Amino acid sequence: MTADPFGELAARAEILKLARVLGEPPERFPFLATVPAADIRALREQAADALFEANIGVLRRMAAASRLLPAPALAAITQKAFGPLLSARMAGLVDPARGLDIARRLSPAFLADVAAELDPRKARAIISGIPANLVADVTRELRRRNDWITLGRFVDHAGERTAEAGLAVLDDAALLRVSFLLDDKAKAAALIALLPHRRYEGILRAAGEHDLWHAVFALTGVLGEPEYAALARAARELGEQEKREAVRRARELGVLDELGPLGEALTE
Amino acid sequence: MAPSKRTLAEQLGGALPEGIDALDEEHKQVLGDALRAARRRQAAALSAAAEESLSHVPFLLRGAVRKAAGL
Repeated sequence: MTADPFGELAARAEILKLARVLGEPPERFPFLATVPAADIRALREQAADALFEANIGVLRRMAAASRLLPAPALAAITQKAFGPLLSARMAGLVDPARGLDIARRLSPAFLADVAAELDPRKARAIISGIPANLVADVTRELRRRNDWITLGRFVDHAGERTAEAGLAVLDDAALLRVSFLLDDKAKAAALIALLPHRRYEGILRAAGEHDLWHAVFALTGVLGEPEYAALARAARELGEQEKREAVRRARELGVLDELGPLGEALTE
Repeated sequence: MAPSKRTLAEQLGGALPEGIDALDEEHKQVLGDALRAARRRQAAALSAAAEESLSHVPFLLRGAVRKAAGL
């Protein structure tokens, strides 16, 4: 169990992701709030593997049978009959070149459905090969649905080029929501580092407008020193009321004394 | 008597992460029940999708696909 406030923030993100894998509302698992995030994540990966393996026999046979069909016919059947779950499970079992050929023929809306069911660890080669324009279209669709969990999982497992193509279409609030849900915090730091520092003020304002201060605070100890200092400088530009609200949330989450330069900027 | 349900660890086929293993049995059961329900939903959805997909396969290939898929 953890009494570390940043640990509890990380656990909160992990509970959302575990609940998604299990198809349950996160409110069903309040008892996980103080479990170390790494353990909840490990459980999620075990559960995803168990679900993938549960029907592996029939999935392998379906994947073998799919090789008998030409790509255009298979793409049509994928969208009309397989549905997102079967497509997502099979994506981990087909040859990546073939999977990519099929993916290119599917609509962004259907790909977004598949993405929500997909275990990205099983289909990394396909994800990384999807053309940038299609990544951007699927990202827009996931953003329209407010599906931050799926977006986060993909940024985690996509190559840098794919992740950048997706992030280019996200606004400040969406960036915060996705960065909060990333497994790989180094990736969150790398992605925030890609943004021009002039965008940081907008990100902080978005945190205030959309109740996302927890996602900003979760970047403490994750961002590199230049980015964190730039974030603190941006915080100085906020209005008094915005700062007060940020401080109130930081106190509520028990992190105010741990925020370093950002905390100083918010309280000065 | 109803058969006993498999525990979370049994369903996962391995040791639980330390922080999960340390939870009360009641909470581990909540997680186990959720995983069991997810498996049931998945099996039903996959089975329905597999049957449905066959009706969309071109007629000439249907026999070969049915055989390969074991349907």
